[in-house]
Amino acid sequence: MSIREPNKTITVTIDGQECRGEWGQTILQVARANDIYIPTMCYLSKVEPIASCRMCVVEVENVEGMILSCQEKAIDGAVITTNSDDLYRERQNITKLYDVNHPLECGVCDKSGECDLQGKTIEFGVDQQTFTARDQHRPVQDWGFISYDPSLCILCEKCVRVCNEVVGDEALQISVGGYKSTIINTKLDQQCAECGECMAVCPVGALASTDFKYTANAWEMTRIPASCAHCSSGCQLYYEVKHESIDNAQEKIYRVTNESEFSSLCGAGRFAFDYANQAATQDATAFDRAVAALKQADTIRFSATITNEEALLLEQFRAAHDVKLVCDDAYGYQRFLNAYREVSGTTLYNASLDEVAHSRAIVVLGTRIYDDNPMVKYHMAMASKRHQARIAYFHPMEDARMQNLVTQFVKYEVGSEEGVAALLAATLLKGKVLPEALQSVIDELDIGNLSAESNVGEEELDALALSLWKKEGFTLIVGADLYNHPEAESIARWIAAIEKYGEFNVLIVPPATNARGVAEICTLSEMTEGYTVGYNAPGDFVLSALGDGDLDMPALNQQEGTFTTVDQRVVPTHPALPYGGYTLNALTNAFGIGSRHTIDQTIHLPEDKGFRPVAFDDLPDYFDAVGHEHRGYCLEAQSCPVNEAYTEPEDLPTYDGVLVYRCNEGNAFSPFTARSARESEKAILKGSAQFAAAAKLQEGQTIRFEQDGVSYERVFHIDTTLKGTVAIHPTWDRGLSAFALSSYRFAHLKFETTGNDDE
Amino acid sequence: MSHVVFSTWRGEQIDNRGKDPEEYVASAYSLPEEYTADTRSKAFVGWDGVAIFEEEIDAVRLATEYAAQYQKYSEACGRCAPGRWGGRILYDLLDKIARGEGAFEDIEHLREVSQTMMLTSKCEIGRTVPKPILDLMDHYKEQFDACILEQKQSIHYDADKTYIAKVTAPCTDACPSHVDIPAYIEGVRDMQFADSLQATRQTMPLAHTCGRVCPHPCETACRRTNLDEPISIMELKRLGADYETDHGLGYLHPQEPKPLRNDGKKVAIIGAGPAGLTAAYYLALEGIKVDIFEELPVLGGEVAVGVPQYRMPVEKYNKDIELVTSMEAVTVHTNHRVDAERLKEIDAQYDATLLAFGTRLSKKVRADNERPEIKGYWGAIDMLDRVNLWTKYGIGSPASEELKGKTVVCVGGGFTSMDVVRCAVREGAKKVIMLYRRDEKTIIRNTTYEEYHEAVEEGVEFIFHSAVEKIVDEDDVLKSLKINKFELVPDPDGGRPQLVKIEDGDFEIETDFLIPAVSQAADLQILPEEWDIKLTSWNTILTNGKDYMTSRPGLFGAGDCEYGPMTIVNAVGQAKRAASVISRYIYDGEVSLTDEEIMEDHLQKLKVYDKNETITGWMPGLPRQVSEKLETDERKTNNKEVNLGFTGEEAIAEAERCMRCYYISMVAV
Repeated sequence: MSIREPNKTITVTIDGQECRGEWGQTILQVARANDIYIPTMCYLSKVEPIASCRMCVVEVENVEGMILSCQEKAIDGAVITTNSDDLYRERQNITKLYDVNHPLECGVCDKSGECDLQGKTIEFGVDQQTFTARDQHRPVQDWGFISYDPSLCILCEKCVRVCNEVVGDEALQISVGGYKSTIINTKLDQQCAECGECMAVCPVGALASTDFKYTANAWEMTRIPASCAHCSSGCQLYYEVKHESIDNAQEKIYRVTNESEFSSLCGAGRFAFDYANQAATQDATAFDRAVAALKQADTIRFSATITNEEALLLEQFRAAHDVKLVCDDAYGYQRFLNAYREVSGTTLYNASLDEVAHSRAIVVLGTRIYDDNPMVKYHMAMASKRHQARIAYFHPMEDARMQNLVTQFVKYEVGSEEGVAALLAATLLKGKVLPEALQSVIDELDIGNLSAESNVGEEELDALALSLWKKEGFTLIVGADLYNHPEAESIARWIAAIEKYGEFNVLIVPPATNARGVAEICTLSEMTEGYTVGYNAPGDFVLSALGDGDLDMPALNQQEGTFTTVDQRVVPTHPALPYGGYTLNALTNAFGIGSRHTIDQTIHLPEDKGFRPVAFDDLPDYFDAVGHEHRGYCLEAQSCPVNEAYTEPEDLPTYDGVLVYRCNEGNAFSPFTARSARESEKAILKGSAQFAAAAKLQEGQTIRFEQDGVSYERVFHIDTTLKGTVAIHPTWDRGLSAFALSSYRFAHLKFETTGNDDE
Repeated sequence: MSHVVFSTWRGEQIDNRGKDPEEYVASAYSLPEEYTADTRSKAFVGWDGVAIFEEEIDAVRLATEYAAQYQKYSEACGRCAPGRWGGRILYDLLDKIARGEGAFEDIEHLREVSQTMMLTSKCEIGRTVPKPILDLMDHYKEQFDACILEQKQSIHYDADKTYIAKVTAPCTDACPSHVDIPAYIEGVRDMQFADSLQATRQTMPLAHTCGRVCPHPCETACRRTNLDEPISIMELKRLGADYETDHGLGYLHPQEPKPLRNDGKKVAIIGAGPAGLTAAYYLALEGIKVDIFEELPVLGGEVAVGVPQYRMPVEKYNKDIELVTSMEAVTVHTNHRVDAERLKEIDAQYDATLLAFGTRLSKKVRADNERPEIKGYWGAIDMLDRVNLWTKYGIGSPASEELKGKTVVCVGGGFTSMDVVRCAVREGAKKVIMLYRRDEKTIIRNTTYEEYHEAVEEGVEFIFHSAVEKIVDEDDVLKSLKINKFELVPDPDGGRPQLVKIEDGDFEIETDFLIPAVSQAADLQILPEEWDIKLTSWNTILTNGKDYMTSRPGLFGAGDCEYGPMTIVNAVGQAKRAASVISRYIYDGEVSLTDEEIMEDHLQKLKVYDKNETITGWMPGLPRQVSEKLETDERKTNNKEVNLGFTGEEAIAEAERCMRCYYISMVAV
């Protein structure tokens, strides 16, 4: 009966039913796993017990008093009663207390119909208020994208918990004041992540989307299960749709919701849903021209914002018509994975988001993870909060938003990633049994020189080694800075060595929505050649879901199919809105490739790459009562030939002067995210005061520069949270050209000034 | 024993109303019948009942005021539904009755809400607040009925009465620093580690330190013990401190430090140990200028030069110290020995002076031929100074130069002796022996189970029931010790068993070192003779243990030099109180306590923890979490911190065991 004996099986009796569980599970968890209902108001499966509502009390034989089932552990042999007259009376009384002075405005409240308080009030038959407390004047607060109505708030604290424990933002706090308690947003003027997680878990109408408010009732909308298409996390979500208005029958997405009890979304997933290509029609002439273009094509260039099925159609087309496939989003990533496999001997990296959340130490290398993949950052936050994880963040740019999570920030010189990877390997593999080839390369590393050139101090590495005393639960997260690095393959081998011999789990974060799937399915070339058809990418003939090409294509919220996520999971998505134009499948059909529906390909996804021969309609898509994810399936690892060839880094490249770092901040992943009405802000070049001085730029100046053949005109703003001489350079507003970038993320900035911002 | 008119305290049922005072039944508890020497209490209302000291009492107002105090408290909480709304309704309904507008159905609603609060509230405070209110409603029913029937105000409704309340908890009460333990544990539970640290720092600036090396008297008063095992209170304190340090967040103060007053007032503190640092911190938070004078080249006192690195890493302690020295109001003078002459100067220059110089003289073991000049006879304080100054600061030279390959005998039984033997192991001694007069059980009680077992694991040999009779030397070089052996002989009259020397039990130990670590004494040469400072029978500085002023006005004493060698947390608690008294004394020349402090002392006398109480509403059978320690081989040759602390999940699981036993007590005067 000790927590010192983990994984011991326990048996308890709940309402006469014998239930098995594991030591450490709460009474409520065991009950739910066995389909036994216990009412709750503040319980949220994805966070630690909050214990504010007290409604989940139960009775336990031979234990005096009422026991809080959400927090108290199920002790082996306990005999538990979840319902009795006494329990009913107390739950009813708690409901009465919640209802005291709760405004009677269900008629106009957005939450009506899906409100937990409404539900409990009906469940416990509270139809009048028999006692009272002095009412308070508590006006509605505008938090920008969310409004907070304190008079509707029941102080369950779910919002505060997710903000702190899941998002790691620490923006929301309880302003304690007893009866006067409210929730406050402490980051209104700073950088609240604007993820809407708080609103998603609010059981009442206190936190509401400012845009959605008063536009639809919960019961009027149709919920379309889908997977988010903005980044590689492929989070579960529902598009909730209804006709536009009384005189416009066209379907419209009103909001995005999700299984917020178990999973989460970022701001893009929750609010940037309005990117469908709805104007598309079947223009037969354009279609014929597209077929002709494909016939003529030497190259098909496409973005990884694509389903697995479409990727398979392109691959089949490539094989049949001898064209090159170029995917700038995924090429470097695929090459990186291939090099990684030469060492690891397996197709799958061995970390998942869940493992990140359970880590005791995390090393992050080569990614501004806060922006690159919010879901990875959420899971790092969970590890930090729940497991006191040490988080070492290796990057040339400090990220002030991560300070509350990161325990060691290690700044390296731009370009020195290969050296850093080698230093990390030397540090993390010290004392491990290594193959001769690896050991000798490590022994020959000129640590002093690498350390000097990369600017990663040996004492910093010692501190890192020292912080790994917990012996297990280590995760290495690597990202997009590495995939297009000139020495990406060498870096990949070092990373794989750390995974293979260093008892590390490694997460190789895919740089775009379905880069993981494309990397498995398609045979990619590095450069375009000859006549190029672009699919959501520039080309001589362009197929575009943005509606600006030569032939319209459906956006991903108008498609059905699957994505392969950062978790190496194949997840299904469904169309939220009708689409009037042609699909890629229709085009390939003209060449005898594909079948009636795109999703007929799901079952044909390559088994030798780890996909399973499961038909689309047979893919599961739900979370069970205790939160296990049953969405699609996980790729199966395939073994690959091993060739452990490590190379000692040559002289590391140096990047002097002012630089830009390609990074789409603030939930703006791509041109699709940018299309959404919510993401209407302007892209700016953001740098530190030091950057401004080095570049001789003033706040508000407009400059023009060229990167990767794309021309940018940008207003420059000083951001006091940044340091150093690297500026943040967003690309999401540049249309399809944003999908044609495959250079190393850092670059020299050569610019001309064109004026001053008048605002 | 207290003189009461009426009492339901701790289940007693005393009703002396209408009786001749000669026939009064007395209460069995030390209730605060005298609030201060010149103020009598009229009533005491607490978590476990009420005690009335006067015949004429307004029970309705008393109940209303108690509910009002809960409202006031809940402004710092209000985090569960029954407590937040229930408490408000209790107060609103009671006030309605007290002002003459109540109805009998309000009484029914009061009972209904009370029951829900008592059964389902999150904290003990919500569960216990209704108890005395219901007692008053039951036993002074006629007063409530009168207010309702006649729709009139309660008898003292508008009268000018004073009600003084204090929130406490059994653990907080038992902690000499009165740390708000449930609050910092809640911070861990909620994963709001900054909140946790700020709760600790309200009364305890040394969060890193007391999260590691506190002997945690609080855990002996943890109510969870009545159910299964006490909460691991001490170790949970580390999390907030580590969070601040690990994330480089800058110092989190319990409140915004007040700006430096610059009014010419200043306070001198002699000694930069836990007591000196604590007093400096709380004076500085008030904006009062402080100068600390420290004899050693380093700050931190015995925790720095006495407690070894493997128990208290200096880089963590330095964070606690920097918290204090980073305050604008604090100036530190190291290498500054204060002798009697210097103290006279300081006394003349400063508005108040706090003596906090500890006890840094090793006491003798009282053996024959005990002469400090014998080579190999090495006082524990000197030995630990040598070890710590080198390992932590690189000052001096390694103690291994003396101890490597040698035999070391330590005489002791407390924390200091444990530090001596475990350091001796780390410095490479060949054989380390601890001699102790009493038995294993006692040494564990005097230190901790972990300390003792870790020492055994590291190879320290413990010889119990033994004492040094004679020190044998050759030309002033230690050769061996003659040891007497004792046995415990039960007292036939049932008294305490006596230690009796075993005849023919003597034996000899050949040794290179004898390190006496039996106790320490204060170096009182600092006190100018002409001041004639009053001392205790233990030769420490005498104060009344409440305001910490010595027999000389303006001269205060706190920590070990006042109490004798005791714990860090004791020094912190005394110094915090002394700082509070000094902060007023330097302006008005009066020695005074706040109501909060007066109540603190009353409650300590009354004792908040009741080991016989039956716990309801919690699932028994959850043993406390035990943190991971370095394996013996990983630790015994180095100074790595032995206790790795809780993992996050262990910490949260442990914090979830906390029953938040907050209580409100209130005195009407």
